[in-house]
Amino acid sequence: MPEAPHPVAIAPPRRRVAGPPPLVVFGIVWLALMLLVAILADVLSPYAYTALDLRNRLSPPVGFGGTWLHPLGTDELGRDVLSRLIYSIRTSLLIAFGATIIGAVVGTALGFLAAHFRGLVEQAVLALVDFSASLPFLILALAVLAFFGNSTVLLVCLLGLHAWERYARIARGLALAAGMQGYAAAVRGLGASPWRIYGRHVLPNIASTLIVSMTLAFPEIILLESGLSFLGLGVQPPNTSLGSMVGYGREYLTRAPWILLAPAITIVLTTLSVSLIGDWLRDRLDPTLR
Amino acid sequence: MLRYLATRLLRAALTIAMVVTFAFVVLRLSGDPAQIIMGADAPPEAVDAFRAAWGLDQPVWMQYFHYFGAILSGDLGRSMRDGRDAIVLVAERIPATLALTIPALAIKIGLGIPAGIYAALHRNSWVDRLVMVVAVAGFTVPSFVLGLILVLVFAVQLGWLPSGGQESWRHAILPVITLGLGGAAVLARFTRSAMLEVLGQPYIRTASAKGVPWRAVVTRHALPNAAIPTVTIIGFMVGSLIAGAVVVESVFSWPGVGRLLVVAVGNRDLAVVQCILLLVAATMVMANLVVDLLYGLLDPRLRAGARKAA
Repeated sequence: MPEAPHPVAIAPPRRRVAGPPPLVVFGIVWLALMLLVAILADVLSPYAYTALDLRNRLSPPVGFGGTWLHPLGTDELGRDVLSRLIYSIRTSLLIAFGATIIGAVVGTALGFLAAHFRGLVEQAVLALVDFSASLPFLILALAVLAFFGNSTVLLVCLLGLHAWERYARIARGLALAAGMQGYAAAVRGLGASPWRIYGRHVLPNIASTLIVSMTLAFPEIILLESGLSFLGLGVQPPNTSLGSMVGYGREYLTRAPWILLAPAITIVLTTLSVSLIGDWLRDRLDPTLR
Repeated sequence: MLRYLATRLLRAALTIAMVVTFAFVVLRLSGDPAQIIMGADAPPEAVDAFRAAWGLDQPVWMQYFHYFGAILSGDLGRSMRDGRDAIVLVAERIPATLALTIPALAIKIGLGIPAGIYAALHRNSWVDRLVMVVAVAGFTVPSFVLGLILVLVFAVQLGWLPSGGQESWRHAILPVITLGLGGAAVLARFTRSAMLEVLGQPYIRTASAKGVPWRAVVTRHALPNAAIPTVTIIGFMVGSLIAGAVVVESVFSWPGVGRLLVVAVGNRDLAVVQCILLLVAATMVMANLVVDLLYGLLDPRLRAGARKAA
């Protein structure tokens, strides 16, 4: 009796289950670390971020003549750079997450509204999209801050408006396309409410595209927040964010570059990580999106 | 083509009107400008006088009407801080900003587009990888970080170039490089992906198959088609010539429009902020309009589509 063929021989060619490339793994690890730092800020930071240590002002980091008392050194007022960095990460990430979610929700909702009602509503949404595209966001944000003064809530809402038009355009286009496919019409025929059609059927089908857009918008929002804070118009003292730390450290560029370099490197690595993950997700989930 | 032009012009005008309305609404929502300017403890008579002087005592719709009329006639208000015409204050700063943004634009286009094309044509070569790494870095390094690092290296450590100010052309080198490098990275990435998309199209294969030399395939078939999305980005860059240097001007203490905007925002000098807002929107809308028209020239399909749709 001939021996049964080895199971491997008839198995279909092994599916290439390529793991994420090393750079993406780095991105995921770094982002996870940042999230952990943001969540555990109170536990991890050795000092309060406003605590002064006047005997150790402008002390350099470990390895550059500093001591483990302040591993990343201190600033002009003797505040611990590491502690400030940890709280800045928390602030910046919180703002960026909040703003990304606001942008995605507002944009998607408007996109659905446009696709559902067509006509005047659609024209109004498209006109708003045009308006958004006609102003560089930083200028718009600066103008609103000039008019309304500054608060963290306003800052988050304002940054939330960044990129809303992208979600709106995507959601409208995809919802229109879904309307022409069978499934949306079928549910509508069954008498489902618009809420149900869009929430339970259309949204899950276009979620991957929206998520990819979010990963692309997230680093931009971090950069915008840090830019505004750098200019002294974003997060206000005594609160601290990565951008405002760089802005503050700029005054001590020659004497104490570490004040500026620690948050600068953090910003770059974080935005880099999210961009890498976003690019990778885009290639995997939605190659049509650019 | 005429209809295409007309719809585009109408949309541009509508967008400008929306920006003006936005400025008005935000200005009124933000509270009583008189109180803000004069301070909370100003005597009531002074506040009333200020209101009358700025027309704030009229009904809102009248104010809107006047506001629109004033802007149409080129009156953008006076700086509430030093009393001069806001538009004059802004106009004074424009040359300084252009002195940074125009050379920077040249760097972006001169460096970004060739790099993107080369990377696409030599996909997965080491040049491609290098371009992509630099492009991603250009995306993720904020301009103020890049600027400060350049200052740290070339001004502080090496002492070759000044770190800020506007005394000579040497002062412009670092800000121009900061602006140019970031933009070149964005443009390179965009050009590359546009080129790759075009190179994957069937007509490229057809052209190669019928024996057109590769060089001609690239210059005659690939480049013109890849130019279409790239023009959008360049249009955006041209549109931000006036206010695209807000952060970089602040880093290098360069007295341009962006610096003026930041200071005006800090002082809540609303007339100046609003003037810059409108100016930027107008530039952007003009640039978008030109891009739309270029589209019409570059892509005959759009022309036909617009005619059908209109």
